[in-house]
Amino acid sequence: MAEEQKEAKPKKRMTATKAAASIGPMVKEFITGTLQAKAEGKYKVAYTFIVCHHEEIFRALDVIPVWTENFAGICGAKRDAERFLQRAESLGFSRSLCTYALCGIGFDQWREELGQMPPEAPWGGQVRPDFMISSGQILCDPRSKWYQASQQFMPDVPIYNIDLPYPLFQENRDHREVLGYYHQYIVKQLRGLVAFLEEQTKKKMDYDRLRELVNLSDRTWNLIDETYKLRRAAPCPMGTGDAMNTMVPINFMMATQKAYDFFVDLKKELEEKIARGEGEVENEKYRLMWGGGLPAWYALNDFNYFNSKGASFPVETTYRMVAPLNEMDLPETKDPIEHLAWRWLGYWTFWYDKAKKRPGSEPDVERLINWIEEYKIDGVVMHEAFSCRTWHVGLIWQLHQLAKIYKPIPVYMIGKGGQKEKVYRELPSLILESDIIDITSYSEVDTRNKIDAFVETLESIQSNRAT
Amino acid sequence: MGDKQSHIFDTVKNYYNNYGLRAKELKGEGKQFIGYVCSLVPLEIITASGCTPFRVRGSVHEPITRGDTLLETIVCPYYRSVFDLSVKGKYNFLSGLVIPHGCDSMVRSFSAWSYGLPFSYFHFVNIPSVCDESSLEFFDAELDAFRKSLEKFTGKAITEEHLRQAIRVHNENRDKVRALYEMRKADPPLISGTELTMTLTAGSSLPIEESNGLFDQILTEVKGRGKSPLKKGPRIFIDGACLDNIELIKLVEELGGNVVADTICNGARDHFPKTEMGGDPISALSRRYLGKINCPKTYRENKAGTFEGDIASRFGDIGAYTKEYKVEGAILYVYKYCDPFGFEVPARKAYYQSLNIPLLPLEDVYSSGTIGQLRTRVQAFLEMIG
Amino acid sequence: MTKVVILNKGIIASIIGPTGPEQRRLANRVMEEALKQAALSIQEITFIVATGYGRINVPFADKQFTEITCHARGIVHLFPEARTIIDIGGQDVKGIKIDVSGKVIDFVMNDKCAAGSGRFIEVIADTLGVSLDTVGDLSLQSSHPATISNICTIYAQQEVAASLAEGVPLSDLLAGVHQSLADRICRMVNRLRVEQAVIVTGGGGKNRGLLQALSEQLGQEILVPEEPLITGALGAALMGKEIVEKARQNNTPLETKERILGAVEIL
Repeated sequence: MAEEQKEAKPKKRMTATKAAASIGPMVKEFITGTLQAKAEGKYKVAYTFIVCHHEEIFRALDVIPVWTENFAGICGAKRDAERFLQRAESLGFSRSLCTYALCGIGFDQWREELGQMPPEAPWGGQVRPDFMISSGQILCDPRSKWYQASQQFMPDVPIYNIDLPYPLFQENRDHREVLGYYHQYIVKQLRGLVAFLEEQTKKKMDYDRLRELVNLSDRTWNLIDETYKLRRAAPCPMGTGDAMNTMVPINFMMATQKAYDFFVDLKKELEEKIARGEGEVENEKYRLMWGGGLPAWYALNDFNYFNSKGASFPVETTYRMVAPLNEMDLPETKDPIEHLAWRWLGYWTFWYDKAKKRPGSEPDVERLINWIEEYKIDGVVMHEAFSCRTWHVGLIWQLHQLAKIYKPIPVYMIGKGGQKEKVYRELPSLILESDIIDITSYSEVDTRNKIDAFVETLESIQSNRAT
Repeated sequence: MGDKQSHIFDTVKNYYNNYGLRAKELKGEGKQFIGYVCSLVPLEIITASGCTPFRVRGSVHEPITRGDTLLETIVCPYYRSVFDLSVKGKYNFLSGLVIPHGCDSMVRSFSAWSYGLPFSYFHFVNIPSVCDESSLEFFDAELDAFRKSLEKFTGKAITEEHLRQAIRVHNENRDKVRALYEMRKADPPLISGTELTMTLTAGSSLPIEESNGLFDQILTEVKGRGKSPLKKGPRIFIDGACLDNIELIKLVEELGGNVVADTICNGARDHFPKTEMGGDPISALSRRYLGKINCPKTYRENKAGTFEGDIASRFGDIGAYTKEYKVEGAILYVYKYCDPFGFEVPARKAYYQSLNIPLLPLEDVYSSGTIGQLRTRVQAFLEMIG
Repeated sequence: MTKVVILNKGIIASIIGPTGPEQRRLANRVMEEALKQAALSIQEITFIVATGYGRINVPFADKQFTEITCHARGIVHLFPEARTIIDIGGQDVKGIKIDVSGKVIDFVMNDKCAAGSGRFIEVIADTLGVSLDTVGDLSLQSSHPATISNICTIYAQQEVAASLAEGVPLSDLLAGVHQSLADRICRMVNRLRVEQAVIVTGGGGKNRGLLQALSEQLGQEILVPEEPLITGALGAALMGKEIVEKARQNNTPLETKERILGAVEIL
């Protein structure tokens, strides 16, 4: 079965921007780069996870990160994850667990068993690491379990687990009351990481270099924010389909000049497109927000399907793992580690104050409301991937709460006494269901039926509005 | 349960079947109950505040309906059931609810709980995912914040003396549970697994002093028994997360097994570790809840550098229990969608193999509808090891 | 389906009853038939063992064992070299691992979901209007097995119907369906670390198309008993015989039920 799926390779997705089109080769180069680095043995190679605010530390010590979520995503996008998932399953892991992790563990076990890469490993395969940096956070359980499980098959590869919590939003509490001890803890965790990496690489941290790298990624953060805000234009010059490519420099290349330059180019490209009035969709009819959930990597063509119906995606909550630093009010510090910890907390609590001001709101809901207004959104689309609780639990509730406190669409109804009355209704929303990489959970026919029905809803709202 | 049921086991059964009965009575007398999910919530702090901790339960017999309109079905089925009962109003007698960072299902659904339920007090306790010096320090501060939030809620200070007193009674409770477990060492055990789990479940709905009293009476009753309520059979160990109902254990015992020990949350995981007396009470609590509660959610460093050494240290408590209670077979009972336990299944299997104890791994969905499937598996397992 | 095996020194009666829930309730009729075949009265049967899903509901059985234990016992009797058994029944699929002495050392079962069992083939055969007996041979004529992407029986049924309408040959569809089921069976039994000899029993053992797909995907040769439907009942009878022999040896009384052939209570 796996083989047939491989044959049924998806057609290459059309991107709206040149920048997005350049991503594929970049990732491939990156993967081959890790293989080469390992072969040459000059640098240490480490498994790790995205969204840990530790890239600067890695790069300052010349440790090459292998983003294991990325590799699983590549297997998914190439529709070649099934054989690794099955291997994990036959080891005794349930298919209901995070499929990124299952794919990675299945691959690792196979590579370790063979003593070489599994046959026809996607893009040359995932390199054997020198060590693994996992991160239990208040974010994702599999992050502290995955490498531990993989270690069964490579017990000589050490793990260092850093903890990076943030204060969960609690309606009746000012999170500033607790930020102090959260910050202290994260600083200590990151210093622990520095010590571990120094020991592994036999190098001393160069704090000036670290400071430069932190400064570089800070500038990149702000640049990304400015670039993405250009997508507010109508027609929207770049959609979520492309953003699922441009997430690569945000999440895998942070703290590199290349990532910064990428966004310089993208910003310029978007400005030019806007000047020409060129949109992602030729005739933009609906502006949608990808309001939650990781994409089904093997079905990114669904974004083109949306496009073909005149629907564009100017904004998404997924993988936009940056926020404007100048709006964060971070304490001044000369210590780059302390700054990383503040930035971490600043990112996760970014919407807290705003959410407190709107009755019934909550940070995730508040972000939806703000972006619906800023990007002039007509409807919200989410994806529920069955194997991942981290990003896919709470979505139904968010839509529920959104509908309760935010009704932006005016409609006229015949009220009491036969008078026309203006009332407001909520934005339409759609939840697609499948998985990040487990293609057996996906049905193209069903998905597209759902999309068609959703577009019909948008259409009828638009025509009602006109009358 | 045995044919001749004593009065005290009738009380237990009543508390078990009408869960929350006593809380509703005491609420009428002005007592405040604070609900909690998961073994990681420091109960002593709730007790010290003058409120009563109350473990909210799910029900395998009740189909999940309203809960599913607010929460994805990819959430741990046990937790979904607890949520469903809560939004249906079963626990409306509570004054508040505390949810810890036990797993993603708890974290990601916190808003759905706190906005959807009518309690005046809500609190989230963040639990570190590692256990080192800095995480204990952080946890001290987090527990102190929990203490302060309860003080704000009750309007009364929680003094060190209150905390010490609460630690003492909760430790007493744990001693009594140990004593009950001692009764399982006879062959066949003097107390059945069904009776024991029912007793512990009933206990988690009572003020700690009442729970202590109840356990004393059960202990007296069981000690006075001439013989076991069970026929001698394979001595079975239950390994897994929260099992707040008797269905699986009852099934094993109906089919001829004797359930003699466990790691479950409503069993040894919750009740065995004690809090150090003396010293700073908050820091003693953080050491108990982070350091001593052996939950896969907390990452424990592999200090051995080998897989065998790693599992021996991570699962060493299992090895000790299986020896102490002369276990002959184990059932690993894991819920579908449970990432913390799910990722440990192969390692746990390997560990049981190293102990030479046959293992039946089960993945279940917290519904009485699956009992038929479980029956065949459990019976075949008992036939296999018998 | 209800099956009965009566054993003396060898098999003296073996009956396969008709399918259906009503038929299961009337297991006593199948028993009657078997007794007729053996020319025995129910009182003359020393010991009766029931197995399978309905095992607890057979009123005249003296003892119940699971089908895991019984299949293993029956297969080891027929194939002493067996190490891995795959039972493909209408309701579920089981994998059983046997050690050198014929003892069960591990087993896996699928959830009670039609997609992972022989029922999957039944439903699809029905959709395609092909009789169940011929699906196996028909599928072997295929040169380009179709891809069945849905794992849920209901969806797969729709998918197959749609492909048929599009003109995909029947044999290719059936081959695709067999590969899909073989794939799921493989994923499950691989958890046992499959070892030779591999025996397939149950209704699936009669489907040559499924056997070929399974053999290819497992990368193992597969053996099938002459009459794969009765190995569970045979095992049950062997277990019964053992109990009787043991009791005679130890001179202990046999605990038996009253010999009345009542209908099965369905709970």
